[in-house]
Amino acid sequence: MARLDEGAFTSFYGRATRALWSYVYRVTGNAADADDIVQEAFLRLLRAEVGASEEDRRRYLYRIASNLIVDRWRIGRHEEGSRARGREVQPAADIDRDIAHTFAELAPRERALLWLAYVEEDSHEEIASSLGLRRGSIKVLLFRARRRLRDLLRAKGIQS
Amino acid sequence: MTSWFDLNEDDERAVAAFMTRVAALPSAMGAADPMQVWWKAQLLRRWDAERRVHAPLDAIQPLEIAAGLGTAAFLLYLSLPYLR
Repeated sequence: MARLDEGAFTSFYGRATRALWSYVYRVTGNAADADDIVQEAFLRLLRAEVGASEEDRRRYLYRIASNLIVDRWRIGRHEEGSRARGREVQPAADIDRDIAHTFAELAPRERALLWLAYVEEDSHEEIASSLGLRRGSIKVLLFRARRRLRDLLRAKGIQS
Repeated sequence: MTSWFDLNEDDERAVAAFMTRVAALPSAMGAADPMQVWWKAQLLRRWDAERRVHAPLDAIQPLEIAAGLGTAAFLLYLSLPYLR
């Protein structure tokens, strides 16, 4: 267990923040939520005793961020209007907009699973750790998410 | 050999290509300045430490009040004969 000093933190923040922000933004679909969640995840990292390796810290950040996303979903069910206040990032090109909208049609957990598997290239064990799920269920959940995305791509005629 | 949980190769390729495009979508990251996060964390850590130090004092406060009231009641009881 080791705590980061100021220089090590700034350097780690620079390396980890963009990927974490993109993950949270693509899963929540809300830029303001992504800003808040990323900042909170880093604050908790600094206040906690996390393993000394960069990978441990990265895993911890994704786990905290995923928990915070779930908390927001729970609150969001009662406060649907709050999402509209978020800063939305509109892609300029039509094709980018189609891609963003198609991804947004997936359930939040499907988006999280697919992002961690394909973009972060995490193992099933790492995905389970980040999302607080059992390792054994990841294969099934990921298969369902991929199948659903495939169906959406077919229905919308989006080609690879 | 593909398992029951695998898509066929074409579908798998399409899903992977789509996810690559999702990852490349433009985004307007507004994450905070690292120094701002660092100092906020230091402040919160200091508050946590102060709270830990004060916790036993806060816990004992009701006991102090109860002991004070008990002592006052006892002294009042002892002084009752002289008050009549």
